[in-house]
Amino acid sequence: MKHQIRFTVNGDEYSLAVDPWRTLNEVLREDLGLTGTKLGCGTGDCGACAVLVDDKSVSSCLTLAVSIDGKSVRTVEGLAPSGEELHPIQEAFIKTGAIQCGFCTSGMEMAALQLLNNNPAPTEREIRAGLSGHLCRCTGYNQIVEAVALAGANMRGSQGEEVE
Amino acid sequence: MKRFDMIGRDVPRVDAEAKARGSAIYTDDMKLPGMLYGRLLRSPLPHARIVHIDTSKAAALTGVRRIITAEDTPKIKYGNWRLVPETQDEYPLAVDKVRFIGDEVAAVAATDKDIAEEALQLIHVEYEELPAIYDVDASTKEGAPIIHDYCPTNISVNRKIKYGDVERGFAESDYVREDTFNVQSVSHAYLEPCSTMAQVDLDGRITLWTSTQTPYIVQCLLASTLGMRENDIRIVKPYIGGGFGGKMELRAWEFSAALLAKLTGRPVKFTLSREEEFLAGRRRHPMKIHSKVGFKKDGSLVAKDLKILLDGGAYNAMGPTATFLCGNFGAMLYRYPNYRFHGQHVYTNKPPASAMRGFGAPQSLYATEIQMNIAAEELGMDPVDIRLKNAQVSGDEIPDVATISSCGFIESIQAVAEMSQWKEKRKNLKPGQGIGIGCYSFISGGVFNWFNTQYPFSAAEVRAFSDGTVHLLTMASDIGQGSDTVLKQILAEELGLEMEDIRITSADTAMTPQADLGSWGSRVTLMAGNAVIDAARKIKKELFGAVSARFNLNVIHELECKNGRVQSKAKADYGLSFGEAVAMVQKANRGEPLVRRGSYTPRDKGLVTPAFGFGAQVAEVEVDSETGKVEVKHMWTAHDCGTVINPRSVEGQLAGSIQMGLGYALSERFVMDGGTTLTTDFADYKMPMAMDMPPSEVVHVDTYEPEGPMGAKECGEGLASPTAPAISDAVYHATGYRCKDLPITPEKILKDKEQKKK
Amino acid sequence: MRMPKFEYYSPTTVAEALSLLEGKGAAAHVIAGGTDIIVKMTHGRMNADALIALERIDGLNAIRFDASKGLTIGATARLAEVASHPDIRSHYPSVVEAVLCMATVEVRNMGTVAGNLCNAAPSADTAPPLITLGADVTLVGPKGERKLSLDQFFKGPSLTVMEQGEIMTAINVPPPGPNSGSSYKRISARCGVDIAAVGVGTTAVFDGEACSEVRIVLGAVAPIPLRATQTEDLLRGQKWTEELISKAGDQAMNEAKPISDVRATQEYRKAMVAVLTRRTLEEARDRAGQR
Repeated sequence: MKHQIRFTVNGDEYSLAVDPWRTLNEVLREDLGLTGTKLGCGTGDCGACAVLVDDKSVSSCLTLAVSIDGKSVRTVEGLAPSGEELHPIQEAFIKTGAIQCGFCTSGMEMAALQLLNNNPAPTEREIRAGLSGHLCRCTGYNQIVEAVALAGANMRGSQGEEVE
Repeated sequence: MKRFDMIGRDVPRVDAEAKARGSAIYTDDMKLPGMLYGRLLRSPLPHARIVHIDTSKAAALTGVRRIITAEDTPKIKYGNWRLVPETQDEYPLAVDKVRFIGDEVAAVAATDKDIAEEALQLIHVEYEELPAIYDVDASTKEGAPIIHDYCPTNISVNRKIKYGDVERGFAESDYVREDTFNVQSVSHAYLEPCSTMAQVDLDGRITLWTSTQTPYIVQCLLASTLGMRENDIRIVKPYIGGGFGGKMELRAWEFSAALLAKLTGRPVKFTLSREEEFLAGRRRHPMKIHSKVGFKKDGSLVAKDLKILLDGGAYNAMGPTATFLCGNFGAMLYRYPNYRFHGQHVYTNKPPASAMRGFGAPQSLYATEIQMNIAAEELGMDPVDIRLKNAQVSGDEIPDVATISSCGFIESIQAVAEMSQWKEKRKNLKPGQGIGIGCYSFISGGVFNWFNTQYPFSAAEVRAFSDGTVHLLTMASDIGQGSDTVLKQILAEELGLEMEDIRITSADTAMTPQADLGSWGSRVTLMAGNAVIDAARKIKKELFGAVSARFNLNVIHELECKNGRVQSKAKADYGLSFGEAVAMVQKANRGEPLVRRGSYTPRDKGLVTPAFGFGAQVAEVEVDSETGKVEVKHMWTAHDCGTVINPRSVEGQLAGSIQMGLGYALSERFVMDGGTTLTTDFADYKMPMAMDMPPSEVVHVDTYEPEGPMGAKECGEGLASPTAPAISDAVYHATGYRCKDLPITPEKILKDKEQKKK
Repeated sequence: MRMPKFEYYSPTTVAEALSLLEGKGAAAHVIAGGTDIIVKMTHGRMNADALIALERIDGLNAIRFDASKGLTIGATARLAEVASHPDIRSHYPSVVEAVLCMATVEVRNMGTVAGNLCNAAPSADTAPPLITLGADVTLVGPKGERKLSLDQFFKGPSLTVMEQGEIMTAINVPPPGPNSGSSYKRISARCGVDIAAVGVGTTAVFDGEACSEVRIVLGAVAPIPLRATQTEDLLRGQKWTEELISKAGDQAMNEAKPISDVRATQEYRKAMVAVLTRRTLEEARDRAGQR
């Protein structure tokens, strides 16, 4: 039996009928066309599928879509809706060279967002711990860690506007 | 030192914003109207004859549009080594026999993924199981089961290299030692699982969007296996989530998507699961390496005899190249007056090994470097000094391989020793702490034309417009390493333009000039870069002519493209904006657009590579004496990649290499039970995470490679080699455990300690 | 890799959940964070016709601490909430250690302690520290509510004493006693988050120079989290010496019954039980001193 669910993604409201066995990852990518969220493993081990649900980052591959009823989801597309200025996290990822193949990027950015929301000035160790479970095969992580630190500094610098 | 405007600058990558926004489209992100979902049925047995396949139940399932087995295909073998057709040993779908667990047997196209998956379970395959073999020793024994009928020895490639007189060399040596090394298989573990989508147009021509490093190779091999003409196949490379050598062949899902699209008239997409990637995906060759080296008392090398057995798994894949290259790499780094190599590529009933970052070098150089350290100790020398004594230098000739042109190897060793405070630390570290060194050399693309292409190795087309912009078209494939950015930087430098002035179309076989062999072997910057320069210079010739005519310049005037202008070097007033100059050329040619082709094929550079990169790395570790756990505290790297085109990209390549090398040294491996891969997820395939990465410092040694674009050569792939030996040597320094059997596990360290107690 | 089809229910009270569970019978399964269940189901290692989600049951996610009564962790409290809870951080550091090393940030935001226990993996990281702290679990079923020592909860890999129709609603941990200290340490291939190859949890109470009470639980070295009772006997009432600690390590090693698998061999696991037992004992001692 399909379940009727209502939820928001990046502020937009959706009402969908979903089979209970479908994951949030499938619904985002296939039904809503929000393909910025990736699927890297399907077992919650790689982090490429991370999105925020009610401001907490979760593995969308392990989240049943039906459980999202009434909740708010934020994906990479919601960091800076197309055409708008980039989010400081995105800017920092670009500037530091933290992006190579880009497949881990959206998950990394969402992890960075949750981390910086909870801890605006993380130490390097805290950043590395905050990215645990996010695998990257290209960068060796160092430039990603640098990007998160830079984003944190920039977000602190422009407090009031961008910090959520 | 040459001065550049665009080269050596941290230009942001051209694809970074799209990737940061999540708007970059990868293959699995795409969907076409009416698209079907494909899934592959894989063999559950390591070695078996296919007696019968019954697809009737599956075909009857609602939503299933078509099922194919080998019977529906032209049964044409393929393989990347077209030059030697007998090495082409693989069918897109298994014919008569399966040879590893995961071998593709049938493919389904259905209206949704779940139905396709359900259909797989309804296909009944009757197998007659055959005896299987899982290691090179068993496989090469007399009477071993034969995996491919054409190859009764199970040894599919024999490669020999010989120069000097090895036996005399050993006789003249003061110190000779022999060691056997075993190195394990590891996964590319690119984050994007393989994905492909095929569409057939009304004329029956196929367009395939696919996650590949080599669109041209896929085009040619797809055409040959389908019995079609190459020009009837168009391969488009969308954004790719990494490859590292694992996406450089035609694969069963690409073939199946194309054939199913043809048979159903609907687009078909296949996307692999991570489990399939681990279970049946390509991997790095495990090798059994026997190395004998001879030295004089003073530490100078006299001879080396290297024998390598490569465990190739069930098919050749890129194994022949790996067999050739591990022999070539065995002769690199140091001067061996006498050298002999025998490499054998051996079939086993395991998933095929293939190309992976380093392409034979990480294995071969692990043996070289560990043996160098052993020899240093036994000859009473410092590992740094023995390397400096034997290091290759510019001008060294390696018989049958190449003459080394630019070479910053000695400088790299010296720089890394200084940065890491090698001499002090080697003497003064506390028990449990250690420091070790590993070095590498690597190719900047290959010369040997195993694919037997009839086209230039790399090509570029530059279209210049009177609005001051240009359009660069190239088949070179950006798979995440950043080649689109680097090629634009090279073109911008050559034409005096800004990055924003250049539009790029890359890796579409129907739109970009023939050809490019793909992204592997660190070939793109050098080869595609040179093709871009070639095209740009032809454009410049036209522009210079126009400006020269317009200002009536003396023929001795030198002209340049700089800051968006085409002008006299001596008197910038004698010049036009780039767009005005293009307009003049166009006018002079009565409207004909200014378009030029460039290409690059290495000439007169031997059979291996046009240029070598070099480097040295030092690792500092701390080993927990009770648990055997190794913590890498710091890494230092000094390397010679010629001119650094994009520093951030080079540093990113380096850090990524360290991550892979760290995994290779300490944690990554496929755990096998016979032919079954047990490590099928990222929970058990232990790839290093952000917390595992050591702090790292790097120095780029300043050299200029005459054959490279703007003096550049290989970077990032060679660095896959030194990390494991550096860590291994550091672990030896810390604990006395000399690892000849990667990976270095805590258990091995503790066992060694136990044995030494006894 | 295909998710089987199932029905999904999202009750808002425990009573409703129980009646759903009863109605659906053995084919129904309770789901909290889902991080284990979804992986098992997509990989064909588990099947259920109905999933009953506890997430929306009011109050089931509560974490309560009272210095005299101790700690209660509701069944749907997320691992992240447990790890960041100030009272848990200050009074039960070994639980925090277990939670932080066992799962990624995302999984901690989804998964629960109750789920980790009910999944009953031999390597479940929260089990050893909680057992040593004397935790019990509240199980509610058709026959009513019962409390059961966590020590008695596990029966084998993926097997517990929970009966058909029962739901774990809370984990209760007594207040840490005076002069007591706890520690959890584990070995895994990577520095950060990883699956444990071996884990040891220890809680000890000290009376001057002697150890008056001690519990040691070994993870991933037996079909269930294993109480090292003979090691505890060896330590109890004895004067705390280096020699004693060393003996305790050897004894724990003898009690462990590990297997070899992709994560480690039997021999290495045994050897590491000795090392981790010693190290957790020492840390427990240090922490007791700080209290």
